Amino acid sequence: MTKRIAMAQLTSCWGCDQSLLDLHLGLLEVLPELEIVFWPAVVDFKIKDLESMPDESIHIGLVEGSCRTEDDVRLLNLMRAKSKILVAWGVCSCYGGIQGLANQWELDELVDRKFMKADTVTDPRIPSENVPAFVPQVRPNVDVVKFNILLPGCPPTSKNIVEALAAILTGKPFDLPEKSVCDQCPKVKQDKHITKFHRSHEGRIDPSKCLLDQGYLCLGFATIGFCGAICPTVNSPCKGCFGPVLRVKDHGAKIVSALGAIAEMEPEQLKDSFPDPIGSFYFTDYAASYLSRMRDKARSKKK
Amino acid sequence: MTNDKTIRIEPVTRLEGHGALTITLGAGNKVKDVQFNIGSTRFFERFLVGRPMEEVPRIAPRICGICPEPHHLASVKAVEAAWGVKPPPAAIKLRRLLIESKQLSSHAIHFYALAAPDFVFGPFADPSVRNVAAVLKYMPDVAVQAIKIMEFGQELCRDVGAKAIHPVTAIPGGMLNSLTEEERDKWLKAVPQLLENVQKTVDLAKTVVKAYIDVITKVAVTPTYYVGLSNKGVLDIYDGTIHVMDPNGTMVADFEPKDYTKYWGEHVPDHSYATHIYYKPAGYPDGIWRANTLARCNIAEKMATPLAQAALKEMRDLVGRPSHHTFAYHYARIVELVQAAESIKKLLEDPDIVCTDVKLSDVTPRAGEGVGVVEAPRGTCLHNYECDDEGIVTKANIIVATNHNVGGIEKSLMDAARLIFEQDGLKKLRLPEPLVKT
Ligand code: SF4
Ligand code: SF4
Ligand code: SF4
Repeated sequence: MTKRIAMAQLTSCWGCDQSLLDLHLGLLEVLPELEIVFWPAVVDFKIKDLESMPDESIHIGLVEGSCRTEDDVRLLNLMRAKSKILVAWGVCSCYGGIQGLANQWELDELVDRKFMKADTVTDPRIPSENVPAFVPQVRPNVDVVKFNILLPGCPPTSKNIVEALAAILTGKPFDLPEKSVCDQCPKVKQDKHITKFHRSHEGRIDPSKCLLDQGYLCLGFATIGFCGAICPTVNSPCKGCFGPVLRVKDHGAKIVSALGAIAEMEPEQLKDSFPDPIGSFYFTDYAASYLSRMRDKARSKKK
Repeated sequence: MTNDKTIRIEPVTRLEGHGALTITLGAGNKVKDVQFNIGSTRFFERFLVGRPMEEVPRIAPRICGICPEPHHLASVKAVEAAWGVKPPPAAIKLRRLLIESKQLSSHAIHFYALAAPDFVFGPFADPSVRNVAAVLKYMPDVAVQAIKIMEFGQELCRDVGAKAIHPVTAIPGGMLNSLTEEERDKWLKAVPQLLENVQKTVDLAKTVVKAYIDVITKVAVTPTYYVGLSNKGVLDIYDGTIHVMDPNGTMVADFEPKDYTKYWGEHVPDHSYATHIYYKPAGYPDGIWRANTLARCNIAEKMATPLAQAALKEMRDLVGRPSHHTFAYHYARIVELVQAAESIKKLLEDPDIVCTDVKLSDVTPRAGEGVGVVEAPRGTCLHNYECDDEGIVTKANIIVATNHNVGGIEKSLMDAARLIFEQDGLKKLRLPEPLVKT
């Protein structure tokens, strides 16, 4: 029996879809098990087709992206109602994604910059016809509806996606790993004596050694080990795009406390090393942070 | 109260991004308005501000998961322009390999998964079969050859960029990782089969073009301006100057990327969150232009590689230059697919491609402004940043391929809608029997 599957995109980059397609010939094994009932990227079904399906008639619903507009919120709720097993597909869906960084600003500042003040704009106006309204901030989808499975990653690798699908198809539980990126990383680690942090373009990197030991801000220690340590393997520091290790609620808070412990630096000096703490410590999950949630609350109160 | 009829198609499928279509018909089915409504945006221009500029090439790919490589590279070029940095030549070759690999997989996926289902099964086939899954079912050989090309491109992107989706290796001053000899040898060995699959794609495309020539030459033939990079007349997706061709085929501008604000206007429509970039001196809507495959092929004097050059010539013999045929975009895509495959071969054969001297170690931020431009598969991709003397971003302007095309898409949809609703033109079109009957 094939399982009915739907893939919906909220505001996103579609990289999670591409990651599924990147199974290449592996697609030929997966697709016969699935009946695609909604996937606008690839198949000509429309929103009204999704609306007309009975509740819980979709076995597997994958939701990519996060809610930036009221249409996104509607589609998210629709996917929840129609799906038995709802999967938060990618870090946008789990924790808000890169666009969560926009939560540092108020909506009117965002809109103003884009439509009124961009260097090239010749006739500024805020679009309002046949377009959905923006929501004031990006929230993790898990704060809006209940999900059955979290599948983090920006994007989750093709292998991650297949593992999750295989578990669902065979009725097995799907558990995220306990490991961190450091646990998967091939670089040689030593006792940490960090006295200065370098920016990622600076200096010459020793490709055999741990990047953090060399003074580069590599976030492997605080990031869930699910990607196979892709970035540090090629000398590019982990930015934490798969979200925090299991059971850590606030990625950045965890990073900051760990840095305080491992860096042999005065607190002031440490602070000066990171002119952009939010971008550095909450690359793709600022929307899920305490800081962003506090701003969110303050916003609601103001109204 | 009017008697206008509104047709809304939502979402527009087989397209990345959030699109809907609103067509308004007046009395006698007169097409009054066609809107391409893009219903979201993420405000990168705002939230890049305050970030160390060397980190932006890690953020920028996330603008588009289908084409992250062009954003990664336009971004790093913008930073290097601002800081006055020149990466080692071998790093540039790796970057070229990265962007050509993306061009290859993107063009293959677009042709086979997004466009071919209409041509192969016929535009009126049931939606449940008019898709790539059905290509897999009814034409497994074709599907496998398609997947092989996409796999080559995506996996080579991965070897160079570490992640095919959201690459991480380009850094101001070069590349963080080089290609090993084993990797190079593995890819060189795979090249002959790639070229074979590309040739089969060309053959299939020619069959389709012949069968649908009536559609290509009659539906959505929409004169516009065209914009794209060209490197001294040669089609080049990594470097060059920005060219603008007018609807008559005259080259009206050729300028350095840093001067783009003089020529590029950004129209904000009331009905879409995707703005329309156009040729500023001509005003809006007269200056609406299109980018993407056909634009580049219209602009280029010639292709960079021999087989692609032969394919371009064949295409021009059929549709002329400039071609305003919206459906010829698919043909131009195939011409560029050939160039991507040939360029990959050439780069892999270059001994420098395994050179390990790919990164400068003395890059220093300085206050300034930089513009970085490359050609993404769907059009010119421009990143423009300003920073302070610590190299922290103070301002960002980003123009993605879609923005060049939406104005033109609306124009060509208007032409198509008139043909369909006003002239009942679909009935008069000669459509071939579907290649595959379902
Ligand atoms: S999780 Fe990453 S890859 Fe997936 S949609 Fe969001 S930004 Fe794109
Ligand atoms: S390089 Fe990064 S991921 Fe690897 S061990 Fe060091 S800190 Fe962890
Ligand atoms: S190493 Fe870190 S930044 Fe790179 S893919 Fe894995 S989680 Fe993301």
